[in-house]
Amino acid sequence: MVVADGLSGIDGRRIDPAVLEGNAVLVVNVASQCGLTPQYEGLERLQERYGAAGFTVLGVPCNQFAGQEPGTPEEIQQFCSTTYGASFPLTEKLEVNGHHRHPLYERLTAVPDAEGRAGEVEWNFEKFLISPAGEIVARFRPQVEPEDDQVTRAIERVLP
Amino acid sequence: MTLAPATVKATEVQLGDRLRARSGAELTVTRIDGEFMGRANMLAFVEDSGEQWFKMPALRDGDVELVRRENAVE
Repeated sequence: MVVADGLSGIDGRRIDPAVLEGNAVLVVNVASQCGLTPQYEGLERLQERYGAAGFTVLGVPCNQFAGQEPGTPEEIQQFCSTTYGASFPLTEKLEVNGHHRHPLYERLTAVPDAEGRAGEVEWNFEKFLISPAGEIVARFRPQVEPEDDQVTRAIERVLP
Repeated sequence: MTLAPATVKATEVQLGDRLRARSGAELTVTRIDGEFMGRANMLAFVEDSGEQWFKMPALRDGDVELVRRENAVE
């Protein structure tokens, strides 16, 4: 499965593959101190809207963009749950660009966006949609809101 | 030669400059992107090195904190 390989959760425990396998997964690099941080609200609404239908958001805390995710795992988890009521899983803090990029992002960043641009994650809250079969089917840049029609249509196309 | 911390115009940043982001994190600029997320009024400074990958955007007409500039002329 493309998502769960070697991933630990924000609590330091290995993410149970069953949480992700067979589901459509929207992988999003998140940050707590970004102008786009309110996108957590839309992400949580996606989770509530599609979660029972075989979908999950997977948040990936990352501090590579202006240092906007500086907190400890406990601080990040606390922020997400108390400020935004986020119920979707978070990974450990990962690097999404550069020499130390996590293998998951090696695969994700090889996929182009709607304009045909692959490569580096541009900023916080870039989104990648993975089908239940493990295929990376769409990439949405940070400015695309979680509940944008192009995101929800793509999710609905791949729900199991 | 090394400069003491100072504020410089974003457009005057050079490759090799050591900058400090508002978060306190620092980067040594190895690449300057001419726009940021499609905004032509912004630049993005990137360190893409074996040490770290880090990105810091700035308004083109704004200031940034320069921590160090090697080979600076006094």
